[in-house]
Amino acid sequence: MNSHKATILGYLLVLAAGVALQIKALTRPDRFPSLGRVFTHVMQSRTGRVGIFVAWAWIGLHFFAK
Amino acid sequence: MTDAAHGAREEQFAPSEAAVSPLQAVLSGLRQPIVLILLLIAFFTTISGKPLDGFLMLTVATLLVWDAARTRLGYLQVRAPSAARAPVPPARRRRLLVGVSWVSAGLIYAGIVGSFKRYSWPATAAVVALGCLMVAIGWQGPLRDRAQLTGNALRRVWLWAVVLVAGGLWELSSLLQQPHLTTDSYAHPTISALTDPLLASHPGRSLALGGWLLIGWFLAGR
Repeated sequence: MNSHKATILGYLLVLAAGVALQIKALTRPDRFPSLGRVFTHVMQSRTGRVGIFVAWAWIGLHFFAK
Repeated sequence: MTDAAHGAREEQFAPSEAAVSPLQAVLSGLRQPIVLILLLIAFFTTISGKPLDGFLMLTVATLLVWDAARTRLGYLQVRAPSAARAPVPPARRRRLLVGVSWVSAGLIYAGIVGSFKRYSWPATAAVVALGCLMVAIGWQGPLRDRAQLTGNALRRVWLWAVVLVAGGLWELSSLLQQPHLTTDSYAHPTISALTDPLLASHPGRSLALGGWLLIGWFLAGR
């Protein structure tokens, strides 16, 4: 396997881990938090909420803005 | 929202009982992890050739420090939980109308902004305007109350942190293995490099913008 494929495999593994965790959280909400509930938890404070929105805005800026 | 959650929020925003100097108040603002992360992003995006991103991150970090310092000094009132903020469920028809309006606006935005070339001034203006608007909305507070994490679920939040940090570190390792910060590497592609073919066309850009708007919608409802 070359470096290009290994790098993409790394991204896919992280994505798969996230999907698996989300599925686990949806089937066992008492034991595992879903991503949505984690965001809700983090966004209870102003810094957390603004930080998450800035991260979201940064994604748009990164891919589309000068 | 539960009483415990209200208590946690009040505690977070409540001014300190002990007298603090302005310098201490500013330092307490600077010590917030999110402020440090924003400052790091501002630095790295600026040296990567994206000064506008850096400027915006720096601006928000400064505003957060300012806000935290004023709260610490007692200039800002702690927002008491109010029954008036409790969401009033809208009528089904009205809810449907509002939903259709938002979806239509999102489709129009994605269609129009997706027609602009990447990194052009029109695309930049459209994304910066929406980004600033959403940050301003986020500054006001949650739009609706949500159930809090408790017990085992709360203790396992770290699992998501592991996934997100692993993704971030993998992306960073690819970035650092590029020949230059602004030059893509085929052997070690970043997510940006991998998405370039998709974002080269109008439909691809509109699709990506639609996804970005959906994530924003999801976050706004938190």
